[in-house]
Amino acid sequence: MFEILLNHYPALAEGLTTTLVVSLSAIALGLVLGVLMAFGLMSRHRLLAWPCGLYRSFWRGTPILLQLLLVYYLLPEVGIEIAPIYAAILTLTLNTAAFQSEIFRSGISHIPVGQIEAARMAGISTWQIRKRIIMPQVFRLTLPPLTNEIITILKNSSLISVIAVTELMRVSEQIASRTFQPLETYLAAALLYLAVNLVLARVSAYLERRMVGGLATE
Amino acid sequence: MFDITILWETRELILQGLWNTVWICFLGCLLALSLGLVLAALRLANPRIFSYPVACYVELCRGIPLLILLFLLYYGGPSIGLTLSASVAGVVGIGLYGAGYFAEIYRGGFKSVPKGHLEAARMLGISPWHVLTRIQIPQMARLIVPPSTNQLIILVKESALISIISVDDLTKNATSIVNQTFQVIEPYLAVALLYWLIIELIARGGYALEKRLANRQPRPIEPRGGTRHAHG
Amino acid sequence: MPMVDSTTSTRQKAIVEAQGVSKQFGDLEVLTDIDFRLSPSEVVCVIGPSGSGKSTLLRCLAFLEPYDHGSVYIDSQLLGYEDSGGKRVRTSEKRVDEVRAPVGMVFQHFHLWPHRTALENVTEALRLVNGLSRREADEEGMAMLEQVGLADRAGHFPESLSGGQKQRVAIARALAMKPRVMFFDEPTSALDPELVGEVLEVMNKLAADGMTMVVVTHEMGFAAKVADRVIFMDQGRVVESGAPDKLFRHPQSERLQQFLNTWRERHID
Repeated sequence: MFEILLNHYPALAEGLTTTLVVSLSAIALGLVLGVLMAFGLMSRHRLLAWPCGLYRSFWRGTPILLQLLLVYYLLPEVGIEIAPIYAAILTLTLNTAAFQSEIFRSGISHIPVGQIEAARMAGISTWQIRKRIIMPQVFRLTLPPLTNEIITILKNSSLISVIAVTELMRVSEQIASRTFQPLETYLAAALLYLAVNLVLARVSAYLERRMVGGLATE
Repeated sequence: MFDITILWETRELILQGLWNTVWICFLGCLLALSLGLVLAALRLANPRIFSYPVACYVELCRGIPLLILLFLLYYGGPSIGLTLSASVAGVVGIGLYGAGYFAEIYRGGFKSVPKGHLEAARMLGISPWHVLTRIQIPQMARLIVPPSTNQLIILVKESALISIISVDDLTKNATSIVNQTFQVIEPYLAVALLYWLIIELIARGGYALEKRLANRQPRPIEPRGGTRHAHG
Repeated sequence: MPMVDSTTSTRQKAIVEAQGVSKQFGDLEVLTDIDFRLSPSEVVCVIGPSGSGKSTLLRCLAFLEPYDHGSVYIDSQLLGYEDSGGKRVRTSEKRVDEVRAPVGMVFQHFHLWPHRTALENVTEALRLVNGLSRREADEEGMAMLEQVGLADRAGHFPESLSGGQKQRVAIARALAMKPRVMFFDEPTSALDPELVGEVLEVMNKLAADGMTMVVVTHEMGFAAKVADRVIFMDQGRVVESGAPDKLFRHPQSERLQQFLNTWRERHID
């Protein structure tokens, strides 16, 4: 296992980088979409809330592999030719946006109504309330489920290997077929995934501790 | 545009995929539920010995993609003399992977029964065994139903990964149909609908079970901390 | 350590006796060298500021917290430990149950089991421990609920009862096992002020019927009226004890004077 790590260090590192780039871009893009959709879900306007709900149901209710295949095969059908890696980022983004919208919706609903009423009575506008009062608190409240989501996306990014994106999983497959040491190779890959996820969990726990009490508003 | 005749012509492939997904998920989830229970029970029975190993196991499940686990079992297994068919590797993979999550769910349930409830029982002379079976388990049962349902749904969705180790499940057969007919939307949407149906059934079942348990107590106790986040 | 069966005449009369009991939580000593005797039909109230160790003392007397040093006897039987080749070892849970069988306990937060009705809360132990049939247990349980004035709430689940009603059910649950001593751990502290009365009334009646009781409480009025003896604790030690009259009118120690003054300031407005 360690032999594999040492001998194929550059390829594995490259694969891991791709894994991280794909996952983290999807998380970041999904965050923007997810926050917007969370307000959509909570909107009083049916025409806004209903499509958001449907979107959330579909992307949360079907296997992500199926979603990936659908996006990958469908894009060329409608005349969009993009590299597999972008199809992968697109799918992961659309998927995580649905999950993040639900995380943020739940986080927002946990903020006492009194705070929002107090801000409104002070004449602060709706968007200012969202930006300066709701969201800073929501990020603290949702840090644990958000960390879970990041880890989930990192793990799920392994399946984009099926559309030939050379991320960590795909690189391991290539090494395994070349060295005829599948057990050692996949164990090495497992170790890398585990290490990244453990670091993520630690960073998140650290941030959570830091954020308790004094919380920067900007 | 949506050509439903394709689905009728390929119904055998779809039904075969459905059957494989269903039985593999069923056995995999059963394994996950029972192995998880064993892990949680070990940890409860002797925390000094088992706390650390079980916690490590849970971390492994959380930190390693199921796909890697499936590849380890299916492709890596033979090099240590463990040759599994793809379906069996699927069952074992889902079972081992889910067990870590269920062990945590059970533990959370146990921890959320207030200690005072147990002390009150002990002060009446009720034996530790009866405290477990009559006070602890009935109370935790209803707490763990929602997160367990959630986790089962995640496992069903993740089961799509067994198509990658060549099990003819819903996802693999849908892809075969796509490749045969060059129609993308129909097979994938049909299969998505079938997954959704299975998931809906589990959700309904969980909800019914929760309500049945709740009949013994009008409103649920608020579980401490949120349920783990669902994904698939 | 005194031997278990070195029964002296004084010990025979005590239902509960503690000798030199100490308890530490980590580095913090919460009980220091406590001596305590409880005679049949005696009502003892334990008062003191929060953190004084009074609840911990009660929990040690019930062995819900294992004490570190000293001995607790119930009916002259050592509770929680036994002599094994000159060394003191923990007894089995079963033995703990046997020794503390004469003790009933009522908790600050009631600890009714939420998945059982009021009646089932009372009958659970009757069936599991005393082996009564369902009918016998139900009959017995109803009698207990009647005693605390809650027969009409038998089928209710705890969450639809008020705090005062919950505590009365908890008292009935403890009484059902026919204890000879009742421990009350701040039984009214978690109640809204207007619900305190109904619980104290039940306890009053119990005391009048000759029940032996140890009550950890902040209710000075109850202590003054019902207690035969009041114990004032502070920082894990018994600072003063005696008849309520003497203690409340002529406190000897400065700490008790202070404690009573603070209490009066807060309650005479």
